Amino acid sequence: MARQRWIATAAAVVAIGTGASYVIRALPPDPTPVADFSAPFVFGRFSVPQDNPLTEEAFALGRRLFYDPALSGGNDRSCATCHIQRLAFTDGLPTAAGLNGESLEFSSMSLVNLLWGQERFFWDGRALSLEQQALLPIENPQEMAQDLEELVRELKGSRQYRRMFRQAYGEVSSENIARALATFMRMLISAGSKYDRFLRGEAVLTEQEELGRKLFMAHPDTKVSLRGGNCIDCHSQFLTSGFRDGLDGFSNNGLDKDVDLPAGLMAVTGNPAHKGFFKVPTLRNIAVTAPYMHDGRLQTLEDVMDHYNGGVVVSPTLSPLILEADNAASPPGSFVGLRLTDSEKAAIIAFLHTLTDEAFLSDARFSNPLEGEL
Amino acid sequence: MSGMKPIHINVLLAFLLALTVWHAFRKTDPPASQLRLVFQAEANGQKLVFDQFHYKNPNGPGQFRVQNFRFYISNIKLSGEDGTYLEPDSYHLVRFGAGNESFAVELNNIPLRSYSGLSFSIGIDEQANASIEPRGDLDPNSQMAWNWEVGYKFVVFEGSLILDDAILPLVYHLGFDENRRDLQFSLPAEEQLSSTSAKNFKVDVMELFSGASAFNMAQTQSVKFDRQDARRLAENYAGMISIAGN
Ligand code: HEC
Ligand code: HEC
Repeated sequence: MARQRWIATAAAVVAIGTGASYVIRALPPDPTPVADFSAPFVFGRFSVPQDNPLTEEAFALGRRLFYDPALSGGNDRSCATCHIQRLAFTDGLPTAAGLNGESLEFSSMSLVNLLWGQERFFWDGRALSLEQQALLPIENPQEMAQDLEELVRELKGSRQYRRMFRQAYGEVSSENIARALATFMRMLISAGSKYDRFLRGEAVLTEQEELGRKLFMAHPDTKVSLRGGNCIDCHSQFLTSGFRDGLDGFSNNGLDKDVDLPAGLMAVTGNPAHKGFFKVPTLRNIAVTAPYMHDGRLQTLEDVMDHYNGGVVVSPTLSPLILEADNAASPPGSFVGLRLTDSEKAAIIAFLHTLTDEAFLSDARFSNPLEGEL
Repeated sequence: MSGMKPIHINVLLAFLLALTVWHAFRKTDPPASQLRLVFQAEANGQKLVFDQFHYKNPNGPGQFRVQNFRFYISNIKLSGEDGTYLEPDSYHLVRFGAGNESFAVELNNIPLRSYSGLSFSIGIDEQANASIEPRGDLDPNSQMAWNWEVGYKFVVFEGSLILDDAILPLVYHLGFDENRRDLQFSLPAEEQLSSTSAKNFKVDVMELFSGASAFNMAQTQSVKFDRQDARRLAENYAGMISIAGN
């Protein structure tokens, strides 16, 4: 008898379990994993947070949020105000424009291939994930000046957003806003430049571009007559971004002398050895993201090359690799800079132009989804 | 429940029986052996100090500081009474920094009960050095990669030297297949492996400059692609790792 009851209980548990899993599956539709998601082999490993897998629904929601001025307090600017697709998601300004017309401290950063490279975001690396990053500009009084609770209330008032949130995650919440924006940004993958096609064996570089590539990829060594621009010491060979490991993707590339040197990464780590360290930015689409550096101080790629060639300012935390890289043999300590010839500088710039990915800059999947609706 | 057909009950019973049998016969895995190889960065017998002009150039004038010191070890092999174990995808970047003067490489699921021999290389094998496949800690988009045509740096030392008030950069990037050094350690006695075993090593950065051959950093402030210089420093780094008394 007892045994029969035991069997009955087991059967009931199985029945309830099956039923429950049926109901759970039937409730919100399973979000669709992004189909055929693949990434270039040469970009290497990447990781997506377990609690925020890449799904079509999250991407569609994130894309809409990214472009929606409703995310700002005055309903007058969106993420895309400062991150414009045809400028590789920068804004063309030296430093971003604040809400009251003031200039902010930093230049808007290009949003591309964020699945790779450093796992810290912003010039000083203060955000540790894209989810964490995404809400900061919304709340920032100089950027979008929006109260998060207010925003959630506003989005809940929209039938379309309620539906999109339900399909992607469940409820409308600030966590889910952050997740959706992060998903959209993770999918901003640029791998169709001439350099990528060259790496896949589908394109041939011109002689000048090839010389530029070689110089980009070489640390100069006068002892063996190897000329180089040493860019690869900080901008990785395939991604052209900074390195992923630890804080390897941050350094001081010699823009300022010690007294003028901003804190940079030191503000986050508290380590004086990190004073003036900034996130080494990706160079993908660099030809369309002028002006350059964290405060947009350099107008053109020629200015950038002149900086590395002979304009480097020495400070105690300046990268020893920059301090040492020189294409002319001279008494140690007598000169800081690459001392490349004009045609070598031009070659590196030609190589940098091969990093422009027209298909990415005009990819309809990354464009404003609200445009069609207005 | 009286409505349940006998056949269903039978199926259920068979299932429960199978479950019980599976449970009873499931082998509990033997506790997997683990070994932590703990590397301690040192200079002159003391914990290595980073970022400060703390050290005298051992073979010439000037004081120097260490800003970056790291190296690859690879192909770790353990041997003992019950066989040898070769770690799969065995490529580890041993890296140090201020506050991280020790670095542990963890070997898990070692199918040995004890070991008395241990070997690994400083640097990586030719095949891995010619590949851009990410394996272990090998990453072609990392600081350790020169570029895919040249391969990986095996040992990186960066710092600066103060000489007559001038700050001079020190850059030693050492690689090339011929500079891989295979190290062999044999222990005086068989050591048991458990889930908490560890082996401590000291890594003496000064050996890089005053090991087999005396190297004056004031005279040669950088070594990258010059084969002869690189080989000299490789001879030196071959002796920089030793087993520490526990
Ligand atoms: C007012 C202009 C402005 C707006 C609006 C804006 N950003 Fe930015 N964005 C910037 C600036 C400036 C930086 C660099 C700030 C810093 O480093 O402190 C930046 C940096 C970032 C980064 C870091 C990229 C990296 O590689 O580290 C991400 C990601 C980003 N923004 C996403 C967004 C999202 C998502 C939104 C909308 C919710 C948004 N931004 C709205 C100006 C803006
Ligand atoms: C020591 C590391 C290092 C080296 C070597 C280096 N860079 Fe940079 N690069 C950086 C850092 C850090 C920044 C951002 C600096 C800032 O804004 O404070 C940067 C910024 C840039 C920018 C501006 C990007 C933007 O979005 O504004 C360009 C362009 C650039 N580097 C190109 C090069 C080229 C070309 C070379 C080789 C000639 C090179 N870099 C070598 C570290 C380096």
